[in-house]
This record gives sequence, structure tokens and C-alpha cells, in this order.
Amino acid sequence: MHGLTFKSSVGDWRRVIIEAMVVVILSAVAAIAVNIVRGEHLPWIADEPYEIFVPCPEPLGEVSALVPSALEINDDKTVIIDARTADLFGTWHIDRAINVSFDYLDPVPEQTINDVVSQTARSGAQRVVVYGDGGNPDSGRELARELAGRGLKNVFFITGGADAIRSKPVEGCLL
Amino acid sequence: MMKRDKLKTMVPIIARIGLGAVYLATVGAVFGFGIIVPHAIEDRIASWGILPLGVIGIIAWRGSWALLPIRVYLAVVFLSACWFKIADPHSFALDVATYDILPVALINPMALLLPWVEALAGVMLLIGFRVRSAALLTAGMMIVFIVALSVALARGLDMSCGCFASSGANEDPISVWTLVRDGVWLAMSLAIVLFDHQPPGVERLSGLR
Repeated sequence: MHGLTFKSSVGDWRRVIIEAMVVVILSAVAAIAVNIVRGEHLPWIADEPYEIFVPCPEPLGEVSALVPSALEINDDKTVIIDARTADLFGTWHIDRAINVSFDYLDPVPEQTINDVVSQTARSGAQRVVVYGDGGNPDSGRELARELAGRGLKNVFFITGGADAIRSKPVEGCLL
Repeated sequence: MMKRDKLKTMVPIIARIGLGAVYLATVGAVFGFGIIVPHAIEDRIASWGILPLGVIGIIAWRGSWALLPIRVYLAVVFLSACWFKIADPHSFALDVATYDILPVALINPMALLLPWVEALAGVMLLIGFRVRSAALLTAGMMIVFIVALSVALARGLDMSCGCFASSGANEDPISVWTLVRDGVWLAMSLAIVLFDHQPPGVERLSGLR
């Protein structure tokens, strides 16, 4: 049985380390050469910091989807939230909807969440329905998950968002 | 003196038992727990390739052939991992930046150099040329990856590993299992560095060793 031994001399280790360093040097040469030849080469030093988007861990809860055609949301037992921007909210929104703009880069302020929770409690509402831009990802769904994650129960979102609702108008909408 | 000789005899035996455990743990982990997310072809090669190699390893469990399956497996892993990084260094640089560990000045050099080290080490392991040096490099890379992953996990970052094809966090999120997988690959690399003194391959065939 040869080859599977633990024995190594100092010289042996030195040789292994030097060879590894040679491989790194050859790799650097190959990297430089290929990067020069490449059409859109990567600068060795980045011109400016990379813009990276890694979402911070937010407490997210489970939410259920509502199909616009099956809507019966405009009753007194439902708090309706529009997750779109204030501008879009000003252009059109469901009657009684409140605007809580969802921003992917900025978590919803604690105070806003508290306001929504207290408004839900005051109104005696049994559920919260959120609609957003209907994009991918949908701001309505994301806000709904965030609200559910902060302890709100019975939170729903509208599949397809505002555009889907507008194509199937609900009684009481401001069109 | 007798005790030392006995110990020397025992080391290869213990090593073989250890390698057997690595095989079983890896195969079990890959198939039982799905450590390697099977979304990319590279990952499929990495995960499914281990079963036949494990069988070969068990059959050729003596002498200098014992570590050949591990060597070939590691070569496939590293060659699978390097090609997208070489083809698209811009995406890989973004993956490196996402870990938010290196200063800006070092991100691009790392993104350009690392894939080539992976490539050369992979080829050396595959053909059997200076395999201990190549395995030392793969072990070093695995240590770097494990540290980077641990920091990212400790920060709670919801991100892609960037180990194989560049993908979003939803497709290939980092997790404790990514760490376990890298730990297994580190153990394999160290096994080659420590024990594979006369590996079968071009070097032995050509009489260089």
C-alpha cells in the first residue's frame, strides 16, 4: 500500500507551498491576459463602489391572495391600504383606502405601522386588504407580508394590484 | 518506539475510515437533505457526480487509488464553478461585492484572479499533476469561502452564494447547509494535501514522480 501515507518532510511541504504560489502567479498572468483581450474588460480597480441590494431581514408574515373579481372588500369590516406611491394614490384609489407607500429600500416606519394597527382596532375591522402596483414583486404583497410580520392578523393582498382592480371596478371606487 | 510505529500504522487506517465517513456523509447529505440546490447544471454535476465516484472510491479503496475519486470530484466541482466566473467577471464581481467584506479596491482583482486559480487547480487535480499543491489551493479557497459565508450568515444577509452560476437569493440562497457543503469540500481537499503522495495521473505515467 503506497501513496496513502501521512509522512511529509519539511522540504516536501516547502515544495508544495512554492508550487501553489507558482499556480497563483500563473493564474494572475492568465487573468491579466484574458482580461486585456476581452471586449468589455473589467477594470482591475473599480471606478466607484458597487451598488448592491441585499434586503435586510424583516419580519415577514404569511398573507393570502384575493382575486379582484371576488372582491367584497369595501365594507366596514375591512381596512384597505394602497401600497403605491402618493402620486399614484392621488391619481386613483379605492374609496376609504389609506395610503402607506411601500419602498423596497426603506422599511415602513414603526409609527405608520402603529397607526394602521390602531386604526384597525378603532374601526372594529376584521381584516386588512392591501393592493399595490401589481408588479413583480408586487408592492401590495410585500407590504401585506410586512404588516403580517408586525403582528396584524387576517392580512390579504389583491392579485394584480391596482390595475387589476381598475379593470374590474369595485362598487364605491373613485374612478 | 513500538507505540510510535503502531501509531504510524494506524494513521492510514484511520484516514481510510475518515474518508469513508466523508463519502457517506456527503452522499447522504446531498441526497438526503439537498444541500446542493439543484437549480443549475453545475450544481447537478456537483451533486449527482458524487454517487458513481463514491462507488469507485469504495472499490478502489486501497493504495494510491484511494483518493482518486475525491480528486476527480473536487476537480469537477472547481471546473464547474470557474467557467461562469471567467465568462462573466462583471457578475462575479457583483457577487463578491454583495458579501460586503472586501474593500472596493480588492473586489475586481479577486473577481478576476480567483476563477483562474479555481480553473488551474481543477485541471491539475483532474490530470494528476502536482495534486497536493492544487489541493492546498482548493483548501485555502474553501477556508476563504467558509469565512465569507459565515460572516454573511451572521449578518442575516438574504443573498445568493455566487459559488456557481450567478443567481438571485430566491434561487440559490446561502444557508448553514452551504457551510456544511463547503466544509465537506475542505475536508476532501485536506485529505489530498495530507495523504495523496503518489497520485495516479500524468505525472506518474510520465515518470516525473
